[in-house]
Amino acid sequence: MSGTVCSSGAVTQAQRAVEQLRLEAATERIKISKAATELMLYCQENCRQDPLLSGVPASANPFKDKKTCILL
Amino acid sequence: MCDQTFLAISFGPCDKCVKTKPLMNIYIKTDQFNYCSLCVEMMANEGLRDNETLSSLKNESETLKCKLEEERAKLHDVELHQVADRVDALGQFVMKTRRTLKGHGNKVLCMDWCKDKRRLVSSSQDGKVIVWDAFTTNKEHAVTMPCTWVMACAYAPSGCAIACGGLDNKCSVYPLTFDKNENMAAKKKSVAMHTNYLSACSFTNSDMQILTASGDGTCALWDVESGQLLQSFHGHAADVLCLDLAPSETGNTFVSGGCDKKAMVWDLRSGQCIQSFETHDSDINSVRYYPSGDAFASASDDATCRLYDLRADREVAIYSKESIIFGASSVDFSLSGRLLFTGYNDYTINVWDVLKGTRVSILFGHENRVSTLRVSPDGTAFCSGSWDHTLRV
Repeated sequence: MSGTVCSSGAVTQAQRAVEQLRLEAATERIKISKAATELMLYCQENCRQDPLLSGVPASANPFKDKKTCILL
Repeated sequence: MCDQTFLAISFGPCDKCVKTKPLMNIYIKTDQFNYCSLCVEMMANEGLRDNETLSSLKNESETLKCKLEEERAKLHDVELHQVADRVDALGQFVMKTRRTLKGHGNKVLCMDWCKDKRRLVSSSQDGKVIVWDAFTTNKEHAVTMPCTWVMACAYAPSGCAIACGGLDNKCSVYPLTFDKNENMAAKKKSVAMHTNYLSACSFTNSDMQILTASGDGTCALWDVESGQLLQSFHGHAADVLCLDLAPSETGNTFVSGGCDKKAMVWDLRSGQCIQSFETHDSDINSVRYYPSGDAFASASDDATCRLYDLRADREVAIYSKESIIFGASSVDFSLSGRLLFTGYNDYTINVWDVLKGTRVSILFGHENRVSTLRVSPDGTAFCSGSWDHTLRV
């Protein structure tokens, strides 16, 4: 449905809705068990790199309030 | 009824009836034609086969919808949290506000991080757009937009420009300059033109293209240099409130959510809607892709957040609690996708375990509703903006 047809008339709208639904009905789907396992695997693979999950040591945390240095 | 994205209408001889009338540019099997609106109507009606009437089309769409539901239900063999039972539970989380960015004169409506993980841009109701350094809390740039309610702002991938828009119906790109003498507003470039307010904008992988979503029900892809409309996406029946681009490895799609309770996934190049999901009970305020690009989460005024898997083509998890009655305004994933941060209108931020569907932590601190929330690009922090005029990192 690329292009810029003005949606004149309920007929054209209904036609487009049917086209869209036909397209969606034809899309390939996988089982949730497979999709869910893949999501889980992704999480586990990346959880080590996730600072919010595993925490950062205070020295590496750029947001930690640093104590002011006093120049003697 | 959604309005069209604004386009120039040309006037001239129609390709079919040869009369001089305002022309519409339409595509038939990838060929471009200029027809007057009368011819388009007649052709549309001719396109109907003999026994097709409005009611038969409606019946067909109903049966197709049922068929879709059946197909989706067939694959619903197990719940996400059942699969996640094998995963260790997360420990207790302690997250503290490390920085509070004060300076906006009114409600903060939107924010975005820069790829350098330290700068961020935020926009507010009073028309000000400010670029902050999150480490030092200094304001680096400030622009005053000619309109109020700047609902969308985005940082360019290069870090050299910002885009923002709101009630002015357009998206303006400001190049960032460190020259103190230059007036940033002078270099402004108006890129997008919609017929209603701009609700969200985002740069694609380059500085050269911007994707916008608008209250007129459409999304559009624009070229920054020329301001030309590259592709428009029609399909939402009401205002589009949010959009998110797929993470670069997985290709040219984006998801948008709107007031019609639908979240739709689009192909950037063809303008086609690939998938649509309609399980929310109210407006979808925010959508965000899962880091792997295979799923996305949406936050809605019905006080729930839902996770939709793109390959299974259905909703796989709902994040809600009976005690939460206020709408969720924004959502974002942590770097690994294990945590989901959501900001609510009851001034809190809830942290959910994506896989198990349980709430891990609640963060308090804002004094008004949380309007926007984003995790930094390296995942070390997240920033939330609120109607209490502040941002917290």
